Amino acid sequence: MAQTIERPDVREATDEASVTAVPWVTIVWDDPVNLMTYVAYVFRSYFGFPKHRAEQLMLRVHNEGRAVVATGDRETMERHVAAMHGYGLQATLRRADE
Amino acid sequence: MIVSAAQALGGVRIVLESEEAMLLAEFAGQVVTVLEQDAHTDPALDRLFPDAYVDDDAASDDFRRYTREDLAQSKRDAAAAVRDATSTEEDRGIVDIELDQAASWGWLTFLTDLRLILAERTGILADEPDDDPVTEPITERDGYMRAAYEWVGFVQGSMLEVLDPTNER
Repeated sequence: MAQTIERPDVREATDEASVTAVPWVTIVWDDPVNLMTYVAYVFRSYFGFPKHRAEQLMLRVHNEGRAVVATGDRETMERHVAAMHGYGLQATLRRADE
Repeated sequence: MIVSAAQALGGVRIVLESEEAMLLAEFAGQVVTVLEQDAHTDPALDRLFPDAYVDDDAASDDFRRYTREDLAQSKRDAAAAVRDATSTEEDRGIVDIELDQAASWGWLTFLTDLRLILAERTGILADEPDDDPVTEPITERDGYMRAAYEWVGFVQGSMLEVLDPTNER
């Protein structure tokens, strides 16, 4: 599990690299199983979000059914989705303009 | 069950009654077995290895081909670690387990996978979202698994209360 606690560089949509190409997004979906505290914990640990931001995103997942948690190139988003699946969260990726 | 912070390790200390440890060891062994099955042979596996793309089966299949084995291996390793930590030879009444941050993560993810499997087995993960997932259990076995599901959630919640996600090793 050691590789899953590294902090990745979460690219912001304003990154120069993603200005030229259409960015992709990582979406986490709500499910009836995962504890809200666990989802927030994953967001804090994996993405390095501050507590309030992680809880804000977790509540968005819970209340709206899904939330965009990262934006960037496709390869990075695939890595994030694989990591989320490793934590047992439902996650998908798609082009930001879809 | 008592969960407390293991300050020196940045993780948790879990003290289990021997019955609780036996239950976890039994479940952990079963999770390893579930994870050893081939893809799509068990609906629970579809939840543990979900599609990465909503409307693109080909891309989801590609993604699964590249990621599934590594994910399955880390999930199996996590379950095996819990099984080994909770399997005791003699009955001493309690089982005292200390976990560092990395081992705690292994437990958290195992407990998540176990709950997902129990949820699938008892219909909590039905295709038609149920307004009230906690309906009356139909069978004794379902009732037992629902109770285990709740208890495993309690163990995980207790761990999350004492773990600090900013505690990098």
